[in-house]
Order: sequence, then structure tokens, then C-alpha cells
Amino acid sequence: MELQAVLMAAGGGSRMMDLTYNTPKPLLPVGNKPLIWYPLNLLERVGFEEVIVITTKEVQKMISTDPKTKLDVKMKLDIVCIQEDADMGTADALRHIQQKIKTDILVVSCDLITDAALHEVVDLFRAHNATLSMLMSKAHEFTETVPGQKGKKKTGEQRDFVGVDGTGKRLLFMANEADLDEGLVIRKSIMRKHPRMHIKTGLVDAHLYCLKKSVVDFLADNKSVSSIRGELVPYLVRKQFSKSMTSPNVNDEADQNLKKKDGNANLEIQILSRDEVLLQLTRERSCWNDHRGDMSEAYHGGRLRCYVHIMDEGMCYRVNTLAAYIEANRLAPKLFDEPAVHPSAAISVRCLIGADSIIGASCQISDKASIKRSMIGASTTVREKVKVTNSIIMHGVTIEEGCNIQGSVICSNAVIGRGADIKYCLVGSAQRIEPEAERTNEVIVGTDQLMEI
Amino acid sequence: MSSRGGKQKKGNVTSEQEEEEQPLQAVLVADSFNRRFFPISKDQPRALLPLGNVAMIDYTLEFLTSTGVQETFVFCCWMSNKIKDHLLKSKWCRPTSPNVVHIITSDLYRSLGDVLRDVDAKNLVRNDFILVYGDVVSNIDVSQALQEHRHRRKVDKNISVMTMVFKESSPGHKSRCEEDDVIVAMDSKSKRVLHYQKTQGLKKLQFPMNIFQHGSDEFEVRHDLLDCHISICSPQVAELFTDNFDYQTRSDFVRGILVNEEILGNQIHLYVTQDGYGARVSNLQMYDSVSSDMVRRWVYPLTPEANFTDQQGQGCTHSRHNVYRGAEVSLGQGSQMEENVLIGRDTSIGANCRISNSVIGNNCTIGDNVVLDRAYMWNNVHISSNVEIHQSVVCDGAVVKEAVRLNKQCVLAYNVVIGPNLSLPEGTVVSMHHPEEEEEDDDDEFLSDDQEVGHSKDKTRQKAFNPAEVGPEGKGYIWKASMDDTEDEELAQCLWGLVLNPDPESDSESEASEESQDHSRSVSPEIDDVNAFQLEVLGTLQRGLEENIVCDNLVLEINSLKYAYNITLKEVMQILTRVVLEYPFQQQGTQLTTLQYTGSLLPKCNEGQRAETVKE
Repeated sequence: MELQAVLMAAGGGSRMMDLTYNTPKPLLPVGNKPLIWYPLNLLERVGFEEVIVITTKEVQKMISTDPKTKLDVKMKLDIVCIQEDADMGTADALRHIQQKIKTDILVVSCDLITDAALHEVVDLFRAHNATLSMLMSKAHEFTETVPGQKGKKKTGEQRDFVGVDGTGKRLLFMANEADLDEGLVIRKSIMRKHPRMHIKTGLVDAHLYCLKKSVVDFLADNKSVSSIRGELVPYLVRKQFSKSMTSPNVNDEADQNLKKKDGNANLEIQILSRDEVLLQLTRERSCWNDHRGDMSEAYHGGRLRCYVHIMDEGMCYRVNTLAAYIEANRLAPKLFDEPAVHPSAAISVRCLIGADSIIGASCQISDKASIKRSMIGASTTVREKVKVTNSIIMHGVTIEEGCNIQGSVICSNAVIGRGADIKYCLVGSAQRIEPEAERTNEVIVGTDQLMEI
Repeated sequence: MSSRGGKQKKGNVTSEQEEEEQPLQAVLVADSFNRRFFPISKDQPRALLPLGNVAMIDYTLEFLTSTGVQETFVFCCWMSNKIKDHLLKSKWCRPTSPNVVHIITSDLYRSLGDVLRDVDAKNLVRNDFILVYGDVVSNIDVSQALQEHRHRRKVDKNISVMTMVFKESSPGHKSRCEEDDVIVAMDSKSKRVLHYQKTQGLKKLQFPMNIFQHGSDEFEVRHDLLDCHISICSPQVAELFTDNFDYQTRSDFVRGILVNEEILGNQIHLYVTQDGYGARVSNLQMYDSVSSDMVRRWVYPLTPEANFTDQQGQGCTHSRHNVYRGAEVSLGQGSQMEENVLIGRDTSIGANCRISNSVIGNNCTIGDNVVLDRAYMWNNVHISSNVEIHQSVVCDGAVVKEAVRLNKQCVLAYNVVIGPNLSLPEGTVVSMHHPEEEEEDDDDEFLSDDQEVGHSKDKTRQKAFNPAEVGPEGKGYIWKASMDDTEDEELAQCLWGLVLNPDPESDSESEASEESQDHSRSVSPEIDDVNAFQLEVLGTLQRGLEENIVCDNLVLEINSLKYAYNITLKEVMQILTRVVLEYPFQQQGTQLTTLQYTGSLLPKCNEGQRAETVKE
């Protein structure tokens, strides 16, 4: 086994609380499949037979009991639960399962929906004997209107600056705008080694990482790192260009710091041993070099290397906001070819269902209903003369006669009263919309949910 | 251009025709405005120094002519008469010359800024022009850059004022001038320069954030560029120099434009060539590398045997291993010209010599058993037998007597005599000018030229030569950069320029420290709150004791701190207990009052907390 797959599915979905209040993020329906199915399917497609899934008790219970969230994957799922309230980061989770990890790992986040060719990332990892290789993609503009969001929200989030070398593969620099108060600072020694650096913004990190086993061991020794994206990756990227610390002459430093140093040394030693003798010999004897321009050896003698594959085209979404969720629902059905209408759905002959819509299991759709560019979840009842366009209806929803629903998200078990007109709204789970209501651009959630915020 | 619509095309054609009608102009600055080549340039301006037996200014003019320049303004200052004489004799001033050369001399130019201000005052340029120094050797075809420049100016309404020409060459490349080591941040799509900085002596490169705020999402930071010192300027450049009288050099200008980009709206772009050759001979290190590139034919079609200056008797033959021989060269028995050797006409070489990677001028005589490696000998040089020269420059009329050894980076200036039986240590510069005389004539240096040189020669004769320095029969003084010039950056640098050091190891230390800093930063946030809270509680307690504050007030204060630092109740109790217990030990004399005070605080605080828990 070359790589072990680890799926991180314990995130709370804190950036789309309205959706995840009742349904945990991994189980949110996208194209009538739970979100977690997409990364699992991605792994299965490339031939993984076993996946370690890190998730919460709640999700595990729902997966095993609820038929709606049944995952039709053939892989063996090794589900590891972590405590929900422990506030564990992704790196903490890796540390938690350290015993299970025997080889290099492929870490995937549960909210990744992509048609990326995974082998590109893995090939970089293999070809350069890299410590880290990751996947990024050009950021997509979300075109759909997002409920409850007034006007065009400027992507006010701070940009990530990603520096890659001339080939666009080697990851040289990574920082967030927020940390760059004093401007972007690059050491000259890096520029000497990689004289042409492309600095890109507007990239989305897919949160898909290939990591050496030694990195997991390093995490085990280094308890302070809690998040992969936030701390580990920037650390590794920085670490590529620092010389090995040979002189431990920092005795007067605090005890903590010393421990840290030990951890670093540990990492270095392990990586060194990973660079097998035979490999070293091959590199010495061959005329191959990873760079041109100067006459120094390949990789400038560095043992820690980070690579990134940046997708130019194709689909790559991280479903971590409402906007991304809506967008993913629009595009996800293109990823698999299953009948759009589930065989167990009861659909009247005299209704209109667009080819770009998905109808879940045991739905009831009555006469003269019209459904376009929408997703209808399982066991949902749609009465006569209902018009649904551009919307996401989760399972167990009842829509009474004559409703008009446009560009909205209706969460599970909601009831929409007769003749209601709902445009660009988010209706929380188990909400009731009174008949003849007219709602536009609102977030309709229960009062208990509001307290939370 | 062909893809444009018909309507637009018509308009373009007319404007292009207008442009075509105007001849392409160039401004050639035949002065360096520094003294890097002193003492050599005391007798000959830098632009006339021979490189591959041809004056450097001829390369520049050839380059300009071959890119289609039809009118060139040559600005001279230092020893302008010599440059003028040279140009008037050259092919550029023949009536058949495709490039009309105007020579403009003034002793008042002190910088590039002065020259361009004069260009503006005299209203010499009418259109985009090429700005170049008289010591640039290049074969780059600038026409494409020119086209891009014109296109940008047409599209963007004169926003782009300058296009700098760079050659791609990675760090550590031989022809990279360490002093001109630049880092450029650019917009990948528009090729706009966002940041331009010399990196010499810097360990970290800092880019202000505002340069990344231009809407583009892809930038490039390039350290693999060699500044060719060729720039395509709009007529505005001259005006901008007039407006900003403090602009002296081109880097002043570039910096000024980039900093004031938002105010003035001017932009600078760059053009990168991959296969052309372009370099400025800014110090002897560069002289060495450009000369050897020339002999190795990197500047094709400007090669030694091409005789592009079209002078009688300058022709030479090119044979294997890049050995070039002029007319009437005689070579003694057993002498070898190993590789990359250029020998000028009427030069005779004795027996059993070994010559490699060298350039020898016209009318030189070389004795027997001479070893030359990377030696650059100009005209009329006499070398006696058993001499060894490594990587050194020997100027016109110099005489090297028997059994002299010149170690690396020696310079023998005009008419110096050295030897016999002497070994010059590395980096020795010998000149007929006494180093001290420089200060005396410092002021009128720019005002007078030939006269002054003759005058100073009289003076030097009065001073005796030191036989320990130049040998028993030697003539000349060891040249040292005068001491009081250290504040002048330009002069503090040595003649040869900086030596290339491939990878300074000194980096590691700072890296290590930075790493540790990074670490403490990344660890701290969690502990910080608790720590800060503890410190605050301690401070509160101290203050309470000093100012005798009632315990209740302190309890209130600590309770409010709890919210400020977002600390749980449990932690508050832990920390408070710890502080209260430790506090008396931290005081020098354990006073009873302290103990009492703190002791009374604890139960009260506890009470308060308990009450609060009940409330919650």
C-alpha cells in the first residue's frame, strides 16, 4: 500500500450555520447524496480500498442508521470518532490516529467536490519524493444569488498569496494577506535558488494533501500544531529553505522552545532517513536536475520539498459556504450519471420536470407541478401547481398547492403553506411557512437557532 | 494587429504612417558620471576604452544602428574632445551612414538627469527614443520591444513612459553585474513593473502590499533578470526629469515613477529577451566577462572578425578554438594559442608562449616564455620574456620587464613600466598618476581635460617612483582609492567590482533565528491569554497593596478582568490562588501585612465568584 487515505469529516461547517444546524456538514445533501459521498467517490475512483474517516459520533450514528444517508461505496470505511466539543483541528485529528498510519497519507476534506485528476498530485509527490503535495484550483465566481445576502457581496476575505517557481509546481511561498502587514517579504536566498517566482492570488486550496509519514510522526511530537492548513502547511513551506539546525546553542531559551527544537530535529532526521541511499545515489549519478541556471545539485540539496498542482480547468469546489453549497448543487449532478428521477418516486404524468433536476426516492409530485434546475430530496411531497426553479429542497419537505419557489434552499422537514411565494430564501429545517406568504431574500430559521448566534 | 476591425485599422494606418515618417531617435550618454574606471579613465574616457580591440562606443552605435535608429544624440562630458575626434573619424560620421550622429558636449553634465534635462531644454526628441549608455554591448533586437511600447502607449493613452529591456540570466551568471543585481516585481499579464529594487547587501526582499492591489491575480517576482541599461523612453521622460530636478540617475527616475504611480499615473513596463545579449561594462569584472563573451561569439553578429567599424587593417581571421589573428601577426616557435585568443595587427609574439582567453591589442611585442591567461592587453604594450599575467588589464604603452608576475585583478594603466623581477600582489593598480594629485585637481576635473592631464604629468615627475612597488626600472605609482572618499559610495567600490559569491552562507544564522521566532509566535496565542491574565492579576494585587485599595474593589476588578481576557471561572480560581500564594515569596521581606492582605482577598474573591456562579 503506497498511500493511506484519510478523510476529515468532523468539521462543523461554521461558515454556513443556517444549513448545518440540524444536519452535520458531511451529510448535507448535494445532488441527493450526502456531501461526504463525493470525496469518498473520488478516492474510490482512483482505486483506494480503505479509507480512514475521521468524524463525530453524531455523523457515525446517522450514517449507520439513517437510510437516507446510506453511502453506497464499496471501500472499507474505518470510521474514527473524535469528540465534538474538543475543538480538535485537522492536525490534532491526524495525531489522534497516528497509530493507524503506516505509510504516507492522502488527506482529503469532506467538503471537496472535484473532478480533478488525483494522480497529478500524487505524481508530484512521487516524482520529487516530496514531503507535501497539495491541490489548488482557480477560484470560481459564484453566479447564483445567495439567500439572505443583500447585493453582490465583495469577496472581502483576505487573499492568500501563493508563490510557485517557474514551472508552477514547486511551492515556495504561502501567506495570507492578513499576516502581511509589513509587506510581502521574501528571503534573497530563496530568490537565488528560484529566481523566477510566480505569485498568485485568487486560488482555492482544495484541502487535499499528500503527506509523508514522517510528517505525521512530527505532528505526534509537536503538540502545538493543530491545523494542517493553518499551521502545518505554512510551516513546511517555510522549512524548505532553512538550513538544518546543527548547533543547538540556544540553551538559554525557554524550556518550551527547546522542546520545539527537538521536534524539528526529529523531523529532519526522519526525512533524511527517508531519502534512501539508493535514491541519493541515483541522483548523484544522473544528469537530471530540477532547475536550470546555476550549477548546484538538484533541489539545491534541500530534503524537504513542497509541491502544488494548480488546476487550470475542471471543477473544484469546497462546500463551506452557502454560496458554494448552492453552486455545488447546481454542478454536482454532472459528476455522476444516475437517473435524475429516482425509481421509487411517484410522479404524476402531467407535471413538468426539467432534465437538469433531480428527484429523490419516494417523492410525490402532483399534477401541473413544474420543477426546473432544482434538487428535490427524498420523501418530499410537492402538491399541485407548484413551481420550483433553481432551488434546493431537502428531504421530508412538504410544499402545498400553488407555491412558487425560486432560488431558495428549503431544509429538511419544512412545510410550505399553500400559495406561498418564496424567492431567494433559506428556510430552516422543520420551519412552517404560513399560506400565501411572500418572502424575498430572507433567512427563515427557528428562534432557538438565532440564539446560537 | 491584423485581427483588428477594418474601421480601426484605417485609423491605425494613418497614425502608424505618421510614426514611420519620424526617424527613430536615440540618446547615447557617453559618460558614466562616476570614477569606477579610475585611474584608467583619467587618460581616456570610458566609452573609448577598447573591448576586443574596438572602442566600446562603437558597439553601442552599431547596436543602435542595427535596431533601426536613424538619429543619435551623443552626449559627452568627460574628455569630450577625444570622443568627438573618435566619432568624426569613424564610419558613423561618413555621409553614407544610416544613423546620423549628433555630438553634444558640455562640461556641465553631472548626471544622466542633467543630460535628459538638456534633451528637454533643447527639444531634441519628438517621439519615443532609446536611451543607452556609451558602454553597452548588445545585439538585442529592440524592435519588438519598441512595437510593444508603442502599442501600449496607443491603447493606454500615454500612461506607459518607459520600457526597460532586460535579459534573462539566472543568478550567478558570469555577465551579471553584482552591483546591478535587481529584483523586479511585475504584473504577469501586462508586463508592468510594480517594484524595482537593487538587492545588493539585502537579505530579505520586501514588497509593499499596495503593489498587489491592482486587480490582477498573478504577479511575478523575478531575480533572473540582467539589466541591459537599454530603455525605450517616451518624450515625457525628458519632461519628467525637468520637472523633478532631484532625479539624477535612471534608478531615481524608476523609483520616483513607481512611488508616485497613483498620483501621476505613469507606468513602467519591461521587456525580457531570452536569446539576445546585452550588458553594460560598468566595472572591470564586467569588462572581463563581456570581453570573453565577445571572443566566444555570444554577441554575434558583433564578432571580432566582422570588422563592423569598417576601419582599414582592423580585419582578422577566425580559426578553431576561437583564435583570431589580425594582419601581420608573428608567432614564435613553440608558442601556443590555446583558446579564445584575439591578437591585433602587427603584434609579434616570442617563442614558447602560452596564451589563453586573452585579448592582445595592436603593435604589441611579447617576449619568450610568456604565460597569459585572461589578460587584456591594449595597444603598444611591451612584454619581455618570462612574464606571467593572470586576469589583468594592461593599458596602452605599458611596459612589463623581465620575469614579472601579475597576479589576478592587476591593472597597469597607461605608460606604466614594471619590473624587472617583481611579482605584483592580487588587485594591484599601478598608474602614472599619483593618488594624491587627484584631490588637488578634484574641482577642475570636469572643466578641463587634456590640458589638465599634461599639467599633472609635470607634477608626477617631481615625485620619485618607489622601486619596491614597481621594480628597479619601474615607472608608476600604486593607486589606492583615496581615504577621504569613503563616504562617496561610488568610489568606495573597487575597480574590479564585487566578486561573485555563489551562495552566502551567512544566511543560515538569521534563518535559524527567524525560525525560532516563528515558532514562539505560532505557539503563543493559546497560552497568551492565561499568561496575560495572570500578569494582570499580579499587577492588580501589587497596586492594591501599594495604594491600599479596599479588597472589594480588587475583587470587582479581577472579575471584570475575567471577561476582558475571556477566561473561564475555573481558570480564574486557579490563577488567583497561585498568584495569592506566590505573591508573598516574590516580595523581598515577607511582611505580615502582605500576607494578611492577600489572605483576606482570597475568601472574598471566592465568595464573589460563587455568587456569580449562582447567578449564571
